[in-house]
Amino acid sequence: MPGHGNVETLVTMQPIAIDTGSDDRDGMLVMANGMLVAVLVKLATPEHEQEGDWFVEVALGPLRVHLAPTFGSLDDATRWMRHHLRG
Amino acid sequence: MQHALIRKLESYETLSDADRRALNALVPRVRQVGAHVDLAREGDPPDNVHLILDGFACRYKVLADGRRQIMAYLVPGDFCDLNVFILDQMDHNIGTISQCQVVDIPRQSIEDITAESPRITKAFWWCALVDEAVLREWLVNMGARAADERIAHLICELHARLEAVGHSKDDSYAFPFTQTDIADTMGLSNVHVHRTLRDLRGMGLITLRNRVLTILDIERLKDFCKFNPNYLHLKNARWVDRRSVIWASQSQGG
Repeated sequence: MPGHGNVETLVTMQPIAIDTGSDDRDGMLVMANGMLVAVLVKLATPEHEQEGDWFVEVALGPLRVHLAPTFGSLDDATRWMRHHLRG
Repeated sequence: MQHALIRKLESYETLSDADRRALNALVPRVRQVGAHVDLAREGDPPDNVHLILDGFACRYKVLADGRRQIMAYLVPGDFCDLNVFILDQMDHNIGTISQCQVVDIPRQSIEDITAESPRITKAFWWCALVDEAVLREWLVNMGARAADERIAHLICELHARLEAVGHSKDDSYAFPFTQTDIADTMGLSNVHVHRTLRDLRGMGLITLRNRVLTILDIERLKDFCKFNPNYLHLKNARWVDRRSVIWASQSQGG
């Protein structure tokens, strides 16, 4: 469940391979307080404008409604998700 | 040289020389507009009717969180707002995608030309009906087709529409759209658009070079997305045939 008040949401990640039908296959399952809230994938398709960034392939729960940017690092992704899970 | 509007209208209705002269008189001043310029903004009172003679424009809305949804592409020969001048205010934006040649037609000129020519009036109806049909097809596209079929369908539609006004040659046409433009049109992320365009290239269906899109195998591409151009009503052959039959029987009877 998303955190409430001052309690920080515990965001954890677990590596996973993802079949996106493209070269983008290194992924992360993102859990917030033990529940799956997103799947990230590292953009590896050549010539992509954001190649190397982390992309929110799937967003669940409260993250679904937000337009996610791509992230330069997993720390940036964690910060963004924690912020949006708080609401 | 006949401009794109006349070419488009003639695919719907047989026009007389007088009709063509009247339509030519509608476009005395062509304005060059840069890319990414708004021709009309949501909330503005509509003024003139805008006609695109060259280039690409789009209808779009911007959501409260900044997201953009494109609801229509406007290509040469398309009116941006043939009937919206009746409205008090615009309920969406119209903006250019590439550099465009735009004609501003005073609403009075539209009222005059339709009062004088029933054929032009009918051809304008066709334009409005086909705009609605395209919107319906886009609704089907967004709701029921997979991402790769959705983009393939758009590529087939643009090919048919541009060919009808002489802006596609050898299955190639100008493609100034960015991945973000297509993403905002198709309800996809630009990551998915990038993957899909790569897939279509990988399958040998298209190439995209220097903002020119070439369809390598039009029949395979159409089959891939089950493209049926019926909603564009481009040939309108059924009506042309029926009209000539009616005229023939009338002339014999008279």
